[in-house]
Amino acid sequence: MIRVTFKLNSDHLITAFQMAGHADAGPYGQDIVCAAASALSISTINGLTQVAKTKPNVDSDDDNGGFLNVTDISLAHDAQVIMQTFFNGMNDIAESYPQNIEIKMFEN
Amino acid sequence: MIMNLQFFSHHKGGGSTANGRNSAGRRLGTKAADGSIVTAGSIIYRQRGTHINPGENVGRGGDDTLYAKVAGRVKFERLGRDKRKVSVYPVAE
Repeated sequence: MIRVTFKLNSDHLITAFQMAGHADAGPYGQDIVCAAASALSISTINGLTQVAKTKPNVDSDDDNGGFLNVTDISLAHDAQVIMQTFFNGMNDIAESYPQNIEIKMFEN
Repeated sequence: MIMNLQFFSHHKGGGSTANGRNSAGRRLGTKAADGSIVTAGSIIYRQRGTHINPGENVGRGGDDTLYAKVAGRVKFERLGRDKRKVSVYPVAE
């Protein structure tokens, strides 16, 4: 199960997110839920840096995978549009694969 | 960041092969039913615009998603004459 946690500020903007765990929806190389979550989260980070030109703090376990902690997400419009798209996308995946992805939201 | 599509995959082979059910179209709406027990942070209701308003111990996300700020029992309630809200009331241990 991949556990995704979103941190919101008092204006309901997303300031951080964390993903931990493995999807366990299939053998390595054929795990479609893992692939979806990986593609969505990594393209979100690349979007924040390359498209929105912001500098979030990214902490990931590149050796074992299965851990991603992104903080200091900019409150700028472009960055938040990317984050809201990511939030929607993860919710849509979780809707179809509730045994493999769990989403939580917390206020800072 | 390098695009590794197996970043959230279990490294050792194996793991469950349960497939998700196909529920195309059912994205918004209730995620935690009235009377159900939820943990803090759980999403209760996804919506566009506030059909349902946040009540006691319920937060609102940027896209008006409603979530539990505390663990407890979900309660959909009236708000004024024609509006509704959802609250979470802690359950005594």
